[in-house]
Amino acid sequence: MLKMNNISRIYRSDTIQTHALRDFSLEVKAGEFVAVTGPSGSGKSTFLNVAGLLDGFDQGSYELDGVNIQGLNDDQLSKLRNEKIGFIFQNYNLIPDFNLFDNIDMPLRYRGFDAKERKRRITHALEQVGLASRADYLPSQLSGGQQQRVAIARALAGEPKILLADEPTGNLDSLMARQVMELLHKLNEQGSTIIMVTHDPDQARSISRNVQVIDGQITDHSIYAPTNEAIEVSA
Amino acid sequence: MEMFNYYLKLSLRNLTKHRLFFSLMIASLAVGVGVFVANIAIIKSMANDPLPHKSDKVFNVSLNIWTNDNPNAKLLHIMRYDDAMHLLNNEIATHTMVHYQSQVYTRAVDSKSLSRVQAIVRATTPGFFPLTDAPFAFGGAWQNDRAQQVVISDSLNKQLFNGINSVGKHIDVDGKPLEIVGVLAPWQLKPKFYQAAREPFTPTDDIFAPLETAMDNEWSVRVQNMSTELIKTVSDSRGKNAFFLQAFTQLDTPEQKMEMQNYLDNYSDLRKEAGEYLRANDNRLLDVNQWLEFNKVVDEQMLAFGLASSLFLAVCIFNASSLLLARYHSARFESGLRRAVGARVKDLFYQGLVESTLIGAMCAVLALVFSWVFLQLSISLFPALENTSDIDIGLIVIAISIALISSFLSMVYPLLSSCRQSLSTVLK
Repeated sequence: MLKMNNISRIYRSDTIQTHALRDFSLEVKAGEFVAVTGPSGSGKSTFLNVAGLLDGFDQGSYELDGVNIQGLNDDQLSKLRNEKIGFIFQNYNLIPDFNLFDNIDMPLRYRGFDAKERKRRITHALEQVGLASRADYLPSQLSGGQQQRVAIARALAGEPKILLADEPTGNLDSLMARQVMELLHKLNEQGSTIIMVTHDPDQARSISRNVQVIDGQITDHSIYAPTNEAIEVSA
Repeated sequence: MEMFNYYLKLSLRNLTKHRLFFSLMIASLAVGVGVFVANIAIIKSMANDPLPHKSDKVFNVSLNIWTNDNPNAKLLHIMRYDDAMHLLNNEIATHTMVHYQSQVYTRAVDSKSLSRVQAIVRATTPGFFPLTDAPFAFGGAWQNDRAQQVVISDSLNKQLFNGINSVGKHIDVDGKPLEIVGVLAPWQLKPKFYQAAREPFTPTDDIFAPLETAMDNEWSVRVQNMSTELIKTVSDSRGKNAFFLQAFTQLDTPEQKMEMQNYLDNYSDLRKEAGEYLRANDNRLLDVNQWLEFNKVVDEQMLAFGLASSLFLAVCIFNASSLLLARYHSARFESGLRRAVGARVKDLFYQGLVESTLIGAMCAVLALVFSWVFLQLSISLFPALENTSDIDIGLIVIAISIALISSFLSMVYPLLSSCRQSLSTVLK
């Protein structure tokens, strides 16, 4: 599903070069749920941005669902983002003056679906996150956890190949965070491929595959058994 | 079409959400465009070519006929009756006319009402009509120099005869009946080049009368005039040093013009031999536009005001553009999010295009309203402008273009700059 080989991402200013990712290699298969952990500034968000085609890379190769990313133009990258990737941001990134329906509708518009198909998908996505009855609500009328579920519904509506979640529970209290995590696990059980960046070790342990990133490199790669006991594997 | 409707819906939502902001921005640009267009309308009308198809073939005739040798004397644009008759009688020109302006009070002879209306008279020769391309609705010009006949304007015809064909009817001027032989169609020269020296933006003259008839009837001279000897009455001006007639001639070919110039110079030489025309020959044939320029028909104050309004427009455009720039910069989150979920740069561009077109269109409509208001305000302050100014199609197009282009450019720059940025810097 996702295959990165020796990816490097360097941020340059007039005086400083920062290696956000170096020789970063990772392969994620369809149906996997991967947690990416690491301290602040370790490069995990950069990895997610590169994976989500929100940022480019300087060296290496990246294949998403069999498509080589290198050399694609804006139209092609936009199409890939639209069709294959669902984003879940820490700050939800909902448009405050759009109701839930219109927020979820946005990516579907660019996909070219007709009104009937868009409505079907939006209704289904809202049902999946348990907010079907609140399609007309504005985001400000919902709790943080509910807003994040709307963001998940927006990501799901396009039926993407992969969900990329950047600290999706970072702004939520523990109860709401648990609800969101339960939803993500449920989606994974239904077949969604998910990569999630998190700071929370408990959350990471609840996910079958963990990748730890420090200084832009993978330093630890663990696969957890269903009993939640870690099994060390080579990085 | 579905995406266009979507973009339109988004634009209307934006406009509604930020209505105060957009109201200020649109009003700011519309005021600038409105003042500019109103001012240009005035200047454009003043600088208008009244006979575009032949303005280079119609010439004012100015003879250097001062009776003293004053070196500071300007070109004299009025001539004596005798000089005018010599000019009329040569057969060089296609058309020639001489004229002076008068004013009378008149009424329809058949009218039951005894009240009279004030009427501006153009005492002239039949060449006036083909030379100025004056259009006739009914009848034509008089055939006899001393005929008690007149041509009246559409406006006077409506006033006295309710606009019917009044050819054959009579008007009363100072107790004398004058037969109407022609009625003009609605017609307005802008400017009236034949009276460029004084009030060139007044309405079309009411009555056109034969020169000899007007003089015989002692219709007073209401234009610049001078004399070097005692003149008791208008008819007494014949054969005397009374300068009051203006002359225009239509010369269709360069050969005709050269021939006319030679004729004028030879005529001056003859006069010198007779002890007149003391100054060196400086007889001029200025075509319509040269003549208008010579008389400074485009007011210099208006030109200065035009420059000021252009600068004001520039300030308004910068102001509106900076407001829009700030608005589009602040919308970077939304455009970043849209790109993240699959919008192409061209999708955002189309969305911006629809929104900027909508804003530009609203600006343009308001600007045209302001233009009309400012024009009416200018006319109420300076009544002389009343017949000068129209906001024509060209100016409407200019107003719409300025509004649309300003709005469009203000959208493009922040859009392009935000598209150059990595999406990851906008979204978290």
